[in-house]
Amino acid sequence: MTGEEVIEKIKSVVGDDIQKGEVNLGDAVVFVAPDSLQKVAKTLKEDSDLNFEYLSDIRGVDYLDQDREPRFEAVYELYSFEHNHSVRIRVGLEEENPSVPTVSDLWKGALFPERELFDMFGFDIPGHPDLRRIIMPEEWEGHPLRRDYPLTIEDVTFSHNREYKSELVKSKPPTR
Amino acid sequence: MGLIDSAVDALETEVNNIKLNVKDAVEALDHDYAGAIYDSILTTKLGKVVGWAQKNALWPATFGLACCAIEMMAMANSRWDVARFGAEVFRASPRQADLMIVSGRVSQKMAPVLKIIFDQMPEPKWVISMGACASCGGIFNNYAIVQGVDRVVPVDVYVPGCPPGPEALIYGIIKLQEKIMQEAGTQGAKKRVA
Amino acid sequence: MGVTEQGLLERDKDTMTLNMGPSHPSTHGVFRIIMEMDGEVVLSAKPEIGFLHTGIEKTSENKRYDHVIPMTDRLDYLAPPMNNLAFCLTTEKLLGCEIPPRAQYLRVIMCELARLGSHLVWLATHALDIGAMTIFLYCWREREMILDLNEEISGVRMMTSYIRVGGVMKDATPEWLGKVRKFVDYLPAKIDEYELLLTNNPIWLDRTRGVGVMTREEAINWSLSGPALRASGVDFDFRKKRPYSSYENFDFDVPVGKNGDVYDRYLMRVEEMRQSRRIVEQALNHLPDGPYKVQDNKISLPERDTLHTSMEALIHHFKLVSEGVNVPEGETYVPVEGPRGEVGFYIVSDGSGVPYRVKLRAPSFMAIPGMCKMMDRSFVADVVAIIGSIDIVMGEVDR
Repeated sequence: MTGEEVIEKIKSVVGDDIQKGEVNLGDAVVFVAPDSLQKVAKTLKEDSDLNFEYLSDIRGVDYLDQDREPRFEAVYELYSFEHNHSVRIRVGLEEENPSVPTVSDLWKGALFPERELFDMFGFDIPGHPDLRRIIMPEEWEGHPLRRDYPLTIEDVTFSHNREYKSELVKSKPPTR
Repeated sequence: MGLIDSAVDALETEVNNIKLNVKDAVEALDHDYAGAIYDSILTTKLGKVVGWAQKNALWPATFGLACCAIEMMAMANSRWDVARFGAEVFRASPRQADLMIVSGRVSQKMAPVLKIIFDQMPEPKWVISMGACASCGGIFNNYAIVQGVDRVVPVDVYVPGCPPGPEALIYGIIKLQEKIMQEAGTQGAKKRVA
Repeated sequence: MGVTEQGLLERDKDTMTLNMGPSHPSTHGVFRIIMEMDGEVVLSAKPEIGFLHTGIEKTSENKRYDHVIPMTDRLDYLAPPMNNLAFCLTTEKLLGCEIPPRAQYLRVIMCELARLGSHLVWLATHALDIGAMTIFLYCWREREMILDLNEEISGVRMMTSYIRVGGVMKDATPEWLGKVRKFVDYLPAKIDEYELLLTNNPIWLDRTRGVGVMTREEAINWSLSGPALRASGVDFDFRKKRPYSSYENFDFDVPVGKNGDVYDRYLMRVEEMRQSRRIVEQALNHLPDGPYKVQDNKISLPERDTLHTSMEALIHHFKLVSEGVNVPEGETYVPVEGPRGEVGFYIVSDGSGVPYRVKLRAPSFMAIPGMCKMMDRSFVADVVAIIGSIDIVMGEVDR
């Protein structure tokens, strides 16, 4: 099914639970609130025309510099091998206590990416069996991929972001 | 009365000074004396033989971290055969190795592991820092990479490149062999076996 | 609780915990597995990753698009052109530009040579771990030829950065194409040599058949991809189902397995090597003429000789070098069939010359939980075979 047909079918099946459905550069994109994610995901997986049996990836985005509400977003990419189509689910999350329910009971492949969302962005994933840091060391503080986390506290000798550099140099601690 | 007290104080200070000076002088004498024994003709030649044996049988420990490890494997293969320079086997256990080639970027989580492996190697041991990331952090100047492995372990030879070709790494090993021969039989080599 | 008899009697579990640590010759990178074992049998395997975390995604948010390309080289460092291609395809989809056919064919040649190089390293290290040490030397002999071809076309043995936004770095000379043809004619006999040594070898069959089995439903649920998914019976290859970069013009087969064990994955990759060689041969035979990069000077640099005469070329050159390609706002994702599976970059752009968010979909990262599930109820010796068969590269797992 093409992108438009996928969006039509999704709207007909779970139209009340999604906020918006659109086709963006040929890809079908669906906007969902965090509370209805599990219901929408289950329907997308089990419906026979859609049959999204494969979870490709879960990503997190921090839209701090673009000044939009909600600040965070979790993006899910689903495929169907039988029908050869795909859909992207975008879930907007709040700035305080960003939390999105787990989909690891539907797709076991979600275990690692959700831990990475917790590690790198600080999203809370209720229902995840083993939520702890995966890429950074266990005792690391802070969530590195957020936009307000500095890239480094060393002196960056050459940078296109000149304002960024001068703030770092001002607040540089004496030794490293 | 005051005069006698001040005279006694002056005498005590002088005696303490002499004691300190004598202690320093005896230590310096010991140092030179020990150096004189070590650097005599007999033990220098013996030291050079030991250095020759060490340089021709450097066994690297497998410490391939990232992309540079692939070039290290290429160095160990038949085209650029490093076995002809003495690195016959890459020992998996650090207790049986005497050269650690840090090949690849060292992240913050890996730095304690690197230190543990380095500590487990018996003396005398050498470290080659292979590639730009191990020497200075490379193209990754950020929160996650240790900016140069010499913040964690003492490095003997730095091999630049991203990744350095196998011929560059072999040149680094040859330079290390020259360094071992230069240090052989001198205080430098003695410090390594301490 | 010490190692006294009383202490051993007081232990509340009778399994042994074995740490296959980050520095290990068989883990193909810095990867830690903590195994609970009952004798020789592994009851559960817990993976720990993150020992090679480089912060590439965050660094890419401060660099221009063409500066990110050398960083993508270092992610999956066994097949660098594949990452370059995934990044460039996504950027070009956001830009909405058409790549000329000659550039597409050259990209196909570089990517298939990279796939060959990666599979040669996989075969070398997998066989070395299982015990067949000769294959290690044989495979590297062919890989050195591929690295020589890389060095001639781009100047660097491994991290070529040959594929750029808008086309490729520079044109291929007839001499280089002749060398690729000589390599392509030389290779089939060598792949036959590897198969002669391994495919019907009773030791190899004993160690790999029936080991690490993953059924079709499990493979889909645990998000495996690439040869591991196809070995479990799913016929899906992005080059066939969602063709990109002119793959629809090539005639090649996609092997699909039945059992989903280590032996099937080995057969998948060896057959993929043969098909890659076939694709390169077809690309050489039908290589079209024309420009090797998009002629739009807002995307790719103008030719150096025009800088002496044309004012627009000079201005475009200046803008491209100082500000970078201005990519329109939006977000998209283009998957590419890499040697390990589905590789892709999810790029969010805010309209400037610096990407807003770059996320790599790493096939090895998604395969690790599935791999550790395969290790349940297997022997310690099988753990090594399983890790080799999934072919993980820690550069892309930890990014």
